[in-house]
Amino acid sequence: MTLLLFDLVLIATLLTLAVAALTSVEPRRAVMLFIAFGLWLALVWARLGAPDVALAEAAIGAGLGGALMLAAARRAARRRQRTGGEG
Amino acid sequence: MTAAFLFSAITLPLGCLFFAAGSIGLLRLPDLFTRLHALTKADNLGLGLLICGLLPWVESPWQGLKLVLIWLLVLLAGATGAHLVAKRALRGDGEDLQ
Amino acid sequence: MRTLALLAALALLASMSLGLIQVLRGPGAADRMMGVQLLGTSGIGVLLLLAVAIEQPALIDVALIFALLAAVAAAALTRRRLQEPPE
Repeated sequence: MTLLLFDLVLIATLLTLAVAALTSVEPRRAVMLFIAFGLWLALVWARLGAPDVALAEAAIGAGLGGALMLAAARRAARRRQRTGGEG
Repeated sequence: MTAAFLFSAITLPLGCLFFAAGSIGLLRLPDLFTRLHALTKADNLGLGLLICGLLPWVESPWQGLKLVLIWLLVLLAGATGAHLVAKRALRGDGEDLQ
Repeated sequence: MRTLALLAALALLASMSLGLIQVLRGPGAADRMMGVQLLGTSGIGVLLLLAVAIEQPALIDVALIFALLAAVAAAALTRRRLQEPPE
């Protein structure tokens, strides 16, 4: 019973995060939501009994990938600023 | 049941209470610095209580050592992150934090 | 003990979902960052509780990776503004 409730909360929030990350316009907000999504997905893998996949997801998806995408979003914003709203 | 169970039955809900306090503080407090304070202090204390409650239930002493190491790492990361965010917000020279 | 750990994990998940509101709503990037930090710390708690609840000691290693990479995203976001490049 508790486990079922746990799974339901996990799935509902995961889907909310995914939709929010996909529909956000601003790149930095999307990257933040993607990091949160990676953390949450690692929890889901852990709940499914796959600690190795959870390990990879936490390290690559949430940690390094998130930091790299933050840098990319920053660079894109700077370029947009320099060219005056274009590109 | 046993003394260990009683100990966990006290520390685990207390830890969850601290986590809930941190979340509510993050949502309700008025400005950035107070929110930072609620986040880092309450959460690290809550995690410490949770780890204390889980220590009697791990299988080997090495895993207990790993739990303590996790807590120390979280303390370090929380302090570093809070310091960085507060410094950038105070001086207003963060590239992403306007 | 397993039921107790599971109940505590469920409570922690509810608290995490509260913190998620901050990530979704937060006006500035710093607020979103703090929300992500909250997710990371609570995620470690949930993972440790799950490790006892579903008897998978390997989840402790996943929590260790969470703790190691918690500072990476914060450090990536709080880069100091460099000197403006010349036109």
